[in-house]
Amino acid sequence: MTDIIWCKKEKDGKPCDTVNYLDPYCFWNWEGKVACAECGTVYYIHMIQGHMYAGPDEKPGEKPDIYPLYADKPNDGYSNYLPGIEGRTRPYHCLPRHIYLGKADMVKFSIRGRPVRGWRPQPPSAGVAGSHGYFWDIEKLSPEVWEEYQEKIKKGEVKDW
Amino acid sequence: MDWEKELKKMKVCDFDELPGPKSKEELEEMKMPFEEYCKKAFDVGNEFVKPDALKGIRWLSTTMYIFTPHSVTNLAELGAECIKIEMPRMGDPMRHTSPFNEAYLYPLHDTRPMSGTGLGFTNANSNEYYVTLDYHVPEAKRLYYNLVKMSDGLTECYRHGTFDRWKQGYRDLMEINPRFIYVWGGGFGYGPKIFGGSYDILGQAHAGLASVTGAHEDFGGHATKASNWCIDWYSGSQITTAILAALYYRNKTGLGTMIEFSQVQAATRCLGYTAPLYGRFGIVRQRWGNWDTQLCVHGIIMTGKSDFPDAINPQDKYEARYVVLSAFQDADFQELCNIIKKPDLFSRYKTHKDRVGAPAQIEIYKAIEDWAADKTRSEVVRIFKDAGLLAQPVMNDREVYESDHFRQRGTVRWNDDPLFGDVLIQSAYSAGLMSRTPRKHKWLWRPVGADNVKIYHELLGVPMSKIKELYDKGIM
Repeated sequence: MTDIIWCKKEKDGKPCDTVNYLDPYCFWNWEGKVACAECGTVYYIHMIQGHMYAGPDEKPGEKPDIYPLYADKPNDGYSNYLPGIEGRTRPYHCLPRHIYLGKADMVKFSIRGRPVRGWRPQPPSAGVAGSHGYFWDIEKLSPEVWEEYQEKIKKGEVKDW
Repeated sequence: MDWEKELKKMKVCDFDELPGPKSKEELEEMKMPFEEYCKKAFDVGNEFVKPDALKGIRWLSTTMYIFTPHSVTNLAELGAECIKIEMPRMGDPMRHTSPFNEAYLYPLHDTRPMSGTGLGFTNANSNEYYVTLDYHVPEAKRLYYNLVKMSDGLTECYRHGTFDRWKQGYRDLMEINPRFIYVWGGGFGYGPKIFGGSYDILGQAHAGLASVTGAHEDFGGHATKASNWCIDWYSGSQITTAILAALYYRNKTGLGTMIEFSQVQAATRCLGYTAPLYGRFGIVRQRWGNWDTQLCVHGIIMTGKSDFPDAINPQDKYEARYVVLSAFQDADFQELCNIIKKPDLFSRYKTHKDRVGAPAQIEIYKAIEDWAADKTRSEVVRIFKDAGLLAQPVMNDREVYESDHFRQRGTVRWNDDPLFGDVLIQSAYSAGLMSRTPRKHKWLWRPVGADNVKIYHELLGVPMSKIKELYDKGIM
């Protein structure tokens, strides 16, 4: 993190107490106004080479140029605002694909519509000492996927590339 | 017999009657165009009708992650019989690592039907046979030594002296098999850092490669590692080169070799002039990002608009706007200045020497990017190409997949894997074409211990009862 803005602005009689993280990819050399993700207070900052050269100075009534990427409240059990919450944090455009969630996405067909195999769970092999047979015969072992595949062929959804 | 008379009776061969070219010029005319010749010689897609270059070589692999496994899969793609020995039940940790610890292809092992192998394992382990053995246990030693007797070599990646301590390093194995070629792919190798294991990123850092990669801090950059583990892949291939040289040497002398290969050392090889520069002038090389210290203009510029603003994938939607541009000759640079409507730039930076200095580069690249700010990537490429300058979009994965160039050459292709079905691969086919003995991709990988019976029973002749016993004890 390049720096943070720990917002202490009074809000409903309590301090806002939110840490707005200024990520180096955006803020390394940056001048402008950034809003607190929790209370929306606008701060002017000027960063040079990752150092806070000027600010943060409150700019009441002005519009922010940008939102932080992420913010949290360490004194409130680290409740947080993840990237991409409208009006609070800005989206992180390098988000990986939506299925990178730490668990496998069981696709039955490749992007060109042909069956892929190796789904979970697989039955233990009938071999000895962990030895597995070589050919996974989809027609015999996963007849429902085989049927779906035949349907796809009929519909012309199976392509070469 | 009067040979002279007999010879005279024989018909004199008239070359003009023979089919084929009659003159050197005709021969040249009859040759097929080089493009056609290449298509025929490399015959992409029909690699499997050709022989394997390394058929007959058997290689053992007690390796993990990418660096050392890749040195073995290079051999396997060239036709060697490679046997990967993994720890029972667990396997190579790379199976559980990447990307983002996701697993896709199941099962990992009989006893773990709910565990699978992640796609990060791909390319570093194709075409191999998979057995399990906890080789440091005394009970497993005989099996291990028997494998060594029947093999040409081994690649291992353990820390300094581990295999030596377990009585299975080169000094012990050369007594069993003097023809044995042994690779220790240590992280740091021997020397002051002997206890250090290594990763790709450590190699990039320790060798100084990361210090010259990325943009300078003055431009908001940092020392940068390449996103993919390029030093793992690169140093693995360097090991393979050493193995092939050792095999050739063994052909001549009958003697094996020990190859000690430090991953962090391999990364210094990529650094070009860095060490000589320091040696002569005491100058520490700096980062220069997407530009070039030798040539200007010769770098990557950013355009204002993506080529695919409506795409879902952020790599298409936001990032399809980088262009590699090269116009460093005086005439080319003049043309470029005319295109971006800055002829004064050329009048100020007429010669290569004027342009290549840092302040000039900063001004020139900024002028180009200002001009490109309202254009898409493909517009910029088209304009420069039409003017006869070298311009090429920076492509992403999807564009590589859809690139006709790579399809025609078979670089990226679909394979019907015997276990896992339809998989898109680039492994063997990205490493160069060979007309007589091409590389082949046979399968991605197999479950942990999938070939225990094939190797231990069918190759070494171990009775099935013994295999079962070792399996139950967790040694196999």
